Amino acid sequence: MSREHETVWEVFARKAYEEPLHHVGTVTEDDEDLALLSARAIYDEQPWIHMIIVPRQAIREAIRA
Amino acid sequence: MSATPPAVDAGTATMISLIGSLADNKGALGRRYGEWAVSAPTIESAVAAAAMAQDELGHARSTYPVLAKLGVEREDEGLDAGAPMPVIARELPDWASFIAANLVVDGILTTFVATARDSSIEPLAQRARKILQEEGAHRVHAEAWLRRICRTGGGDLELLRQRIEEMWSQAARWPGPDDDPGYREAIERGMVSEGPAAIRDRVRRWLVASLETHDAAVTLEEPAEWSAWDPERRQ
Repeated sequence: MSREHETVWEVFARKAYEEPLHHVGTVTEDDEDLALLSARAIYDEQPWIHMIIVPRQAIREAIRA
Repeated sequence: MSATPPAVDAGTATMISLIGSLADNKGALGRRYGEWAVSAPTIESAVAAAAMAQDELGHARSTYPVLAKLGVEREDEGLDAGAPMPVIARELPDWASFIAANLVVDGILTTFVATARDSSIEPLAQRARKILQEEGAHRVHAEAWLRRICRTGGGDLELLRQRIEEMWSQAARWPGPDDDPGYREAIERGMVSEGPAAIRDRVRRWLVASLETHDAAVTLEEPAEWSAWDPERRQ
């Protein structure tokens, strides 16, 4: 099935509150609830204490070399 | 197989049947979810299916020992244990069946587990609270896929409606007749908080409302004929 029109979410997580959020990967889902579920299921290899997802289209470039 | 002790009261006998069958059905559901971990429509849903399979198999494994507290020793029979509902006893034929099982079978079993959250059978209450934590994600998955299929509409939605009604015809019978004396005794003794009709009503109202939000409908009838119902197999 073609997924080119679905929403790509960038996934960020951290293992301690004093650490910055790290980019850990992406999930492709139109439904926000499924995107959250998928992010937790796919990127569960570390004991994260915080994970967020951001739609790629909401990201704005500040610098582009 | 389970060996029911020769002399137990009706309430305990009903709980032995419910707990054993809950574990059997969770084991079967875990296998069915797991089979779709390699063939789901997207990599994201494949990973979700694998995670849900792991949850269900864990719930089955942790539920069997509760039977020992009720005087029943049951040997570990592996993944093909007991007599699960026929709709989940073999591979699910399509993704609509997966989502219907997620909505209906998982829905009925989890609603039963919710009635045992404060059970007077303490090991059951402990398992129930842990299971309910994990089942929250299963419900999110089911509702999200229902929305997605409703938005797609057409043949996908028609097939899902058909699969929901097929699953309901068996899963709705699992709690049993509402006038079962053993179930009533179990409620009176605080082993569970609600009976079969209340469980069916909760799941039916949730499913009907979820579909109505998207202008779709299903017919989920209250089971009426119980003469051939087997209280041990819960079918």
